[in-house]
Amino acid sequence: MNHQRGSQLAAIGLVLLLAWLVVYPILIVALDAADTTALRAFVTRPGEWAALWASLWISLASVVLAGAIGIPLAFLFEWFDFPGRKTLGALVALPVVLPPLVGVIAFLFLYGESGFIARAIQATLGLEQAPWRLQGASAILLVHAYSMYVYFYLFTRAGLARLDVSMLEAAQALGADRRGTFWRVIVPLLRPSLVGAAILTFMTALGSFSAPYIFGGGFRVMTTQIVATKLNGDLPLAMVETVALAAVAVIGLLLLRRTEGDDILVALGKGIAPRPRPIRRRGVRLLATAAGWGLAVVLLLPHLTLLLVSLVPYGAWTTEILPPVLNFENYRRLFSEAERLRPMINSLWMAAASTAVAVAVALAGGWLVVRRRVGLRRAIEALLALPWALPGTVFAIALAITFSVNAPFQLRFVLVGTAVILPLAYLVRALPLTGRGILASYRQLDPSLEEAAASLGAGRWRTLARVTIPQLRPGLAAGASLAFVAGLGDIVASIVLYTYETRPVSIEILSSLRLSETGVAAAFGVVLMLVSALVLGIGARR
Amino acid sequence: MTAFLQIQAIKKQWAHTVTIGPITLDIARGEILALLGPSGSGKTTILRLLAGFEPADSGRIAVAQEEVTAVPPARRRFGMVFQHYALFPHLDVGENVGFGLTGAGSREHGAVDAKVAAALALVDLAGYEGRKVNELSGGQQQRVALARALAPEPRVLLLDEPLSNLDPSLRERTRRELRQVIKRVGITTVFVTHEQEEAFDLGDRIAVINAGRLEQTGTPEELYETPANLFVATFVGRANVFRGAAARALCGSSGTEDAVVVVRPERLRFAPTGLPGIVRERRYTGAAAFFTVESETEGGGSDRFEVLAEPNAARVGERVHVQATRAISL
Repeated sequence: MNHQRGSQLAAIGLVLLLAWLVVYPILIVALDAADTTALRAFVTRPGEWAALWASLWISLASVVLAGAIGIPLAFLFEWFDFPGRKTLGALVALPVVLPPLVGVIAFLFLYGESGFIARAIQATLGLEQAPWRLQGASAILLVHAYSMYVYFYLFTRAGLARLDVSMLEAAQALGADRRGTFWRVIVPLLRPSLVGAAILTFMTALGSFSAPYIFGGGFRVMTTQIVATKLNGDLPLAMVETVALAAVAVIGLLLLRRTEGDDILVALGKGIAPRPRPIRRRGVRLLATAAGWGLAVVLLLPHLTLLLVSLVPYGAWTTEILPPVLNFENYRRLFSEAERLRPMINSLWMAAASTAVAVAVALAGGWLVVRRRVGLRRAIEALLALPWALPGTVFAIALAITFSVNAPFQLRFVLVGTAVILPLAYLVRALPLTGRGILASYRQLDPSLEEAAASLGAGRWRTLARVTIPQLRPGLAAGASLAFVAGLGDIVASIVLYTYETRPVSIEILSSLRLSETGVAAAFGVVLMLVSALVLGIGARR
Repeated sequence: MTAFLQIQAIKKQWAHTVTIGPITLDIARGEILALLGPSGSGKTTILRLLAGFEPADSGRIAVAQEEVTAVPPARRRFGMVFQHYALFPHLDVGENVGFGLTGAGSREHGAVDAKVAAALALVDLAGYEGRKVNELSGGQQQRVALARALAPEPRVLLLDEPLSNLDPSLRERTRRELRQVIKRVGITTVFVTHEQEEAFDLGDRIAVINAGRLEQTGTPEELYETPANLFVATFVGRANVFRGAAARALCGSSGTEDAVVVVRPERLRFAPTGLPGIVRERRYTGAAAFFTVESETEGGGSDRFEVLAEPNAARVGERVHVQATRAISL
C-alpha cells in the first residue's frame, strides 16, 4: 500500500514537472497571442499567409521528394544483391551525421553560386557569371530531399526486413501475380513504416530552420518569419505566428496519423524476411553497381566538400576552381583561440547535460508507466511525446517568453540570459527521443528479470544498475545519442535564446560565415559531423 | 491407378553437398499423401517444388496430364497451408479467405461473399468473416488458413507441417477434423510432417524421405510390416535391430552371418527358450509394460532391446529368454 502511494506521488510530481516544462510555456504564448492588434496584423498582412502556406507546401513536397528517393533505395538494397551492397547500404544513411546547419553550409560550398560545381561549370563554359543561384524554394527542397530521404530509406528497409516471406508465397499460391502481391500485400504491410516516415519527414520539414534561413532570401517560411519578427522586437506578432505554426503542425500530425491505421506490426508466428535476390543479368548488375556507387559519391560530396573547405586558410582561395593552399590553420585556430574553443565547450556541455536529464526523466517515466502502471501513465507518456509534435521554433519562443519574467508565484523565473535556458530548451527537444527509446525497451523487458534480481537480494538501486539499465541499453543508447546530437547541432532554439557567453557552435558558424571565414565555419562543421558520427555510432551498437 | 499428380525424377541441388531427389511419385485423385521424414531430410523442399516456390533443376511435375513444372505458383492452382499459416495481418478473416477469389476474374461481390461463407462453413467457422486474424486462437487460425487455401478450388492442396503450431492436446482432434474436411472436399493432398503418428492418422499413403531421397512409399501397414530398409524400419514405429548371433538365436539357425533382423517390441515375448537376457528396466504404460532387456549373446548387434508384454510378465533383474512371433528380415 505504502509502495503504491509512493509511486502515485512520484507520478504526480513527474507530471507536474513535465507540464511546467512543455505545456505551461505554450499556454502562456497561446494566451498572450490573443492580442487583437497582433491578430489583426497577422490576418491582414499577405506576407504572413504566404509564409504559412510556404511552410505547408514545402513540408508536403519534402515528404513526396524524400519518399521518391528513399523508398526505391530501400527496395534496391533490401531485395537485390549486387557487388558492394552492404557497404553502400550503410553509406546511404550518411546524411544523418550532418547536423541541419552543417548540411546546409556543405550544400552552400558545393552547389552554391560560388561553390565547387558552379565554379567548375563556369570555368569550363567560360561564363561571365555563376550558372545559377542556389536560392528560394528549390534550394530548400534540395536540402530537405537530401537530408530527409534517410527517414523513408531506414523506415522502409526496417519494414521490408520484417516482412514474412511466407506472406508473399501465400499470395502467389492464391493466384496473385507480382503486381497483385505488391499492391495487395507488401504495400499494406509496409503502410505503418511509410506513414511513420512521412510523419517524421513532415514534422522535420515543418520545423526546418537552417535551410530556409540560409537559402530562403526573400522566400519566407513560418520558422524564419517568427525569428525575424522576434528580432524586430514585435513580440505579440511573433506569438501569433508561433501559435499559427503550432496549429499547422498539430493539424498535419492528426491528419497523417489517421492514415496510419491499426498497428499491425504484431506478426503472427515468426517470419523469415525474403533474402536479397542476386541480380543475374550481367548488364543489369553492372548498371546497378555503377548507379549505387555513383549515388554514394553524390551522397558523400557534401561531407567531402566540408572537409576540403575546412582546410582552406582564410583569404587563400579567390577565383580558382580548386583551392590552391590546404593546411590545418583553421583547426589550429579552433583549438588554440579561447574565443573559438568556447562555443565548442558550450555546445558539448549543454548537449550532455540536457541528454543526461532527459535520460533520467525518461527512466523515471518508464518505470512509472510500465512497471508501476500508475493511473497517470497516459499523461506521462503524452507529455514526454508532446515536444515532438511541435516545431522547435514554437518551443524556443515559448521558453523565451515564459522565462523572461520574474513571477515566482506563477512559477516563472528569469532564465533567459543565464546558462540554464539553452540546456532547458535542448532538454525539451530531447524528451521525446529518450522517452520513446526507453519506454519501448522497458515494455520489452521481462519483469521477472527484475524480480529475479530482487529474489537474489539486490536492492532497488543495485537492480536498476545491474539489471534494468543494462537490459534497456539499446533503446537508452539510441535515444540518448539522438538527443545528444540534436542538442549539439541545434540552431532553432539557440538562435532565439543564446547570449554571447553561452553561444553554441551553430551560432559561431553563422557569425564566421557572416565574416566570410568559410574555412573556420567548415572546420566547426567537420568537428560537429565527426562528433555526431561517433556518438550515433556508439548509440547504434547492439 | 491413374495418377492425378505425377512427380517424375524431380531434382534440386542446394550448394554442392545437399541434393534433393531424384524423386518419382504418383498420387491418385483424392488421395492424401504424407511426406514423412526427420528434420532436414528435404521434405519441405519437395513440397515447395510442388508449389512452384523453388524451381526444379530437372524432372517433371504434371497434374491431370498437364505439365506444370515451369508454371509459376500464381497460375499453378495449388492451394497451400503454411506452417505458421501466413495469414495477412492487415486483412480480416473474410478478406483473407476471399484473397484468392477476387483476383481471378470473378468480380461479382455476391459470388465472392458466398464462396467465402461456404469455405468458412466448411471449416466450422461460419460467421467469422469480420474477425481480425490476430484475435483468433491457434486452431482457428489454422482453419482460416485451410479455408483460404481451399476457397479458390485448387487442384491440389499442400500443407506444410499443418499441426506443428498447435498445442499437443489440440492436435489429435484437429487431425481428425482436417482429414474429414479434406475427404469431404475430395481434394488431392500432399502434406509434410516429421511425426509418424500424424502421418499414419492423416495420410492414405506415406512417402518416407531421408537425406533428400525417397526411401519407401506405402500405406501405414506396408511401412510397418514390410519396411524396405533399416531406415524405414527404425524411423516408422519402434524397432529392435538384431544382427549376427542374436538374429540367429531369435529366428533359429536360418540366418546368415551378416543377417539383420528387425522385430517390433510387441512381436517379442518371454519364453522358456530363445535369446537369453536380463531385464534391466520396466516402464509401465497401463495396459502393458515395456521391458528393456540386455542381451547376453556374445557379439550381438544391439546390446539392449525392448519387449512389450503384460505388466507382470517379468521383474527387473530377472533372467529371461525371448522369442519373436514375427521378425522382419532385411
